[in-house]
Amino acid sequence: MNFVQQIVNGIVLGHAFALIAIGWTVLLGVARLVNFGHGQMYMLGAFVTWWAISSAGMPYFLAVPVAMVAGALVGLIMQRVMLKATFEQNLVSIMIVTLGWGYVLHGVAALIFGSTGQILDTPLSMVDVPLEALWLTWQDVAIVVAAIVFFGILQYVLNKTKTGRLVRMVAEDPKLAQLAGINVRHIYYGVFAFEGAAVAFAAGMVAPRTPILTSMGFEEVIMTFVVVVLGGIGSVKGSYIAGVGLGLFIALFGAYVSPAYATTAAFLLLIMVLVARPGGLSANSGVSIH
Amino acid sequence: MTTHADDSVVLEARGLEVSYAGNTALKLDSLAIRKGEIVGVIGANGAGKSTLANALAGWSRGNPKAVGEVYLNGSPMHTRPTHQRVRDGLLLVPEGKLIFNQMTVHENLITSFELEASADRKVYTREDIYRLFPRLEERKDHFGSQLSGGERQMLGIGRALMLAPRLLVLDEPSIGLAPQMVALVLKTLQTLARDGLAILLVEQNVHAAIEIVDRLVLLERGRCVLEGCTAEVKNDPRIAEAYLGAHVA
Repeated sequence: MNFVQQIVNGIVLGHAFALIAIGWTVLLGVARLVNFGHGQMYMLGAFVTWWAISSAGMPYFLAVPVAMVAGALVGLIMQRVMLKATFEQNLVSIMIVTLGWGYVLHGVAALIFGSTGQILDTPLSMVDVPLEALWLTWQDVAIVVAAIVFFGILQYVLNKTKTGRLVRMVAEDPKLAQLAGINVRHIYYGVFAFEGAAVAFAAGMVAPRTPILTSMGFEEVIMTFVVVVLGGIGSVKGSYIAGVGLGLFIALFGAYVSPAYATTAAFLLLIMVLVARPGGLSANSGVSIH
Repeated sequence: MTTHADDSVVLEARGLEVSYAGNTALKLDSLAIRKGEIVGVIGANGAGKSTLANALAGWSRGNPKAVGEVYLNGSPMHTRPTHQRVRDGLLLVPEGKLIFNQMTVHENLITSFELEASADRKVYTREDIYRLFPRLEERKDHFGSQLSGGERQMLGIGRALMLAPRLLVLDEPSIGLAPQMVALVLKTLQTLARDGLAILLVEQNVHAAIEIVDRLVLLERGRCVLEGCTAEVKNDPRIAEAYLGAHVA
């Protein structure tokens, strides 16, 4: 266990966390919604990618976009179901609906894809980066690059483009956005489609690192939740930093203290943050995306 | 004031009735505003002034139930959602939070949709707004949350103007402003009306409003109790005594 290898592991894991969290961060920042079905959407993205490669015979680089389209559709359907609750900002209903939605996705995925584990091999995951002392695949490198590029583009779009401005207007004050002539409903749909596509993209990138199971959703939702909350609700930059930080923390804690308690330690960290910022998860604390 | 065939009528509302949880807050038989006209709506707290302003835009931060008909240039607005009414040129500058705090002045002044060119809609550019309110240009990189009350009001009006209003509805623009600022804001409205804009001005500051409005509507408990040209009604005891003080009467 050399230290550099742990740092590298932590950086890869961290960027994976950040990449998986990106859709939820935007969702929370713009529509102030939590999505406890996020992990199952990740699972679905992984399985659609796997299916597209193994059954439909598509190349990996085509399978990921296919999974993203499927993810966006799932997001749109989900938002259609919850639109009224979204407008009313009925957070409790939304939490329960998304949680239930996650279980529905889990059940449907188990029916379609079976409940045995699968391996999602990609052209990148089977090739090691030729470094003497380090263990690293090109897939890991791709995850880090993809996360950085994705966050960069997202920051740019949110802060510098017209679409981004409209999204930020809805995030800050959906009622006032209506008076600016914005169709808030469209923005909500768009954000949910983005959430679905983003998490499917993350799944296509990250899932090849480990065997995939239709039951893996809950584990994912839990870690993503930690990242989103640690990063500060709706903060894009914050969730990147939190993701990478959490990845390093878990890698180092796992290596030097105990891998079995890494998740527990992550939650202790989260609890400490929530104690320090008790209003963190409230719906109307003036959250906004930035 | 029934000017059905008059094509200078910009806004026409009929049978507006708004209630909050079963309590009627507004019951207004009719209201019309012509091109270039400023109509002032006055009344005590809770008289239904804001309710009227919001009902025209089909908007509220609360959850009211509203019925009635609203026409803008003859086309029905009551069947359209708020953002569509805005796109058609029915603009509301609400009371209270009227700008985006986490965006700069410059960013607040954007158009969210493609405006259709039309002879009866003046499209104000950001430069026009800065010319109208030079103070905003000085503060263009400041965030909305850093602005004073007067600057917020200017920005709120500027935001609405950039969406090319046919009718501009302002809900208490003078609230909390210093007297010179009130004068500046109201004077600007007068300029806009002279350019042909129809304006509905909800005001508690009757003294200031009376200087610029063409007609007054006095609301009490959600009903219109007096309406007429400013010159005629300002000496009516109901207005003179209750809103302007005895020394004017």
